[in-house]
Amino acid sequence: MSIEVKNVNKRFGDFVALDDVSVSLPTGQLTALLGPSGGGKSTLLRIIAGLDSADSGSISIEGTEATHLPPQKRNIGFVFQHYAAFKHMSVAKNVAFGLEIRKKPKPEIERKVNELLDLVHLSQFANRLPAQLSGGQRQRMALARALAVEPTVLLLDEPFGALDAKVRKELRDWLRRLHDEVHVTTVFVTHDQEEALEVADEIVVINQGRVEQVGTPDQLYDAPANDFVMSFLGDVTTLGGELIRPHDIEVDVTPGEPGAIEGSVSRVLRIGFEVRLTVLTDVGEVVTVELTRTNARRLGIAEGSRVYLNAVLGATRV
Amino acid sequence: MAKRLSERRRERGTSSSAGRERRSKRAQRAHHSAAVGRRNPALTWGLRFLVVGYLLMLVLWPSWYVVQHTFADGLTGIQTALQDPDVQHALLLTAEVSVLAVAINLVFGVGVSLLLVRYDFPGRRVLSALIDLPLSVSPVVVGLALVLVYNGRYGWFGPWLEDNGIQIIFSWPGMVMATCFVALPLIIREVVPVLEEIGDDQEQAARSLGASGWQTFWRITVPGIRWAIVYGVVLSLARSLGEFGAVKVVAGNVAGETQTATVLVQQKYQNFEQTTAYSVSFLLAFAAVLCLIVVALLRPKASKESR
Repeated sequence: MSIEVKNVNKRFGDFVALDDVSVSLPTGQLTALLGPSGGGKSTLLRIIAGLDSADSGSISIEGTEATHLPPQKRNIGFVFQHYAAFKHMSVAKNVAFGLEIRKKPKPEIERKVNELLDLVHLSQFANRLPAQLSGGQRQRMALARALAVEPTVLLLDEPFGALDAKVRKELRDWLRRLHDEVHVTTVFVTHDQEEALEVADEIVVINQGRVEQVGTPDQLYDAPANDFVMSFLGDVTTLGGELIRPHDIEVDVTPGEPGAIEGSVSRVLRIGFEVRLTVLTDVGEVVTVELTRTNARRLGIAEGSRVYLNAVLGATRV
Repeated sequence: MAKRLSERRRERGTSSSAGRERRSKRAQRAHHSAAVGRRNPALTWGLRFLVVGYLLMLVLWPSWYVVQHTFADGLTGIQTALQDPDVQHALLLTAEVSVLAVAINLVFGVGVSLLLVRYDFPGRRVLSALIDLPLSVSPVVVGLALVLVYNGRYGWFGPWLEDNGIQIIFSWPGMVMATCFVALPLIIREVVPVLEEIGDDQEQAARSLGASGWQTFWRITVPGIRWAIVYGVVLSLARSLGEFGAVKVVAGNVAGETQTATVLVQQKYQNFEQTTAYSVSFLLAFAAVLCLIVVALLRPKASKESR
């Protein structure tokens, strides 16, 4: 295990940011810390980096006790949401910073910087100032800068949070490919469940200062530990008092199976290939159901139709 | 207080593009005057006359008067003045005291700015308010306060210091202290908004890349605030050169020993050596204008950097 977090507590005044958090983050993997804003995930990342200190508890990185080490002694790479580019230095100088601090010989620095700029596709911008780059380019520069010092772990704090949707998606794919090439233990913070599900090998769900669940994307999606994880990882609705995903509900217009819940359609909303129904059941539940357009047309569903709802076989329910 | 800071920051934001604005303003003047022309022309001219007249009566005419009197007999006035050993000594002393005070304020000012912006501690707001005190308290009061604390006969520390061979009042340490006090806020008030604006992201990034606190300060923080520092230093220098009240009270006004240029001007004027008084005044004013020119030349460069 690469990073061991044990019983970490952190308060900001009255606000409990982390409440007795213990978690192990595996070596060589891409781990996402996922949770809503203000849930404590960034605080945890900053405590791992040494940029904040825990009130109590311990951190060890690759077997080295790091709880009281200052950030510069932890051999980590940190990427900030707003890039934290050194504004008065060229792109090449930014990337070289960590190496110059370590007093590496000049030719080695130059070779390494060129190699990294190649890796992040910024070679032709080596002599520009950060202000002359786009947001996505700046973040790639920040990543190259963090990788230059060959960190034991790479920590990214909402790395794509400040970018627009398209660049965000590009960089997300690119980070995954980069990680497959470089294999450095990587932890990134995100509040976007799609980002976490798509990129991460392992996800740690954090809410209100506590770890709700740790697992692979599949484990989390298929077997959520509680209501919170279930509802944070995708859309949910209630059917018969249980949380269920709207696309896991089967709709019928005739009372076929026993135990089906009866109701009437109060609203039909078409979004592209998908149809979203709001069903008011006879016992007074409001259920959201998603089905494909073809299916809806086959059943001939319109507002006011009587329908019978069932959970599909193998549906995730909490 | 918070409001004042934010206002200043806004001013800074606009002044950083002042160079561009000035250029485009010239291009737009035709357009603007057309818009103004729709108002009452008499009012427009009246307002212009008022503003120009105000500046003329308050600043330009008196300043011009000094220049005129300095050069009434060509360069002889200034030459005679510069040959007076008291004048030479006073100018040198002013320069020495100012440079020393600015140097001390530079180190202290940057330190306090970092403390105020980067650290949270009990009494931070009080300290921030206290720093503006020298702007509101009369320099004469500052001088008197220093005399009370440090004079050799009945001050709090004075007798003890004097016993150990250190004289503060009626000597250069007191003059430097007085000058430091009055120029104290200038560097801090320049540096603090810039530090707030750049944030500590870059510093944290440097730390995470292995830089020590000292390396981070020199490689990241200082380049980020360098133009604020330059501007603050120039302003403090101008303020220090012109300081009168506090220094006069503290220095004791002994010609050729503890008399600075401003105090000398007053004395010479009262002793009917007007030409000398005017000449030294001119030199002081010239130095101040030089400071302002340096700032004006630096400013556009600074804005280009920050963009």
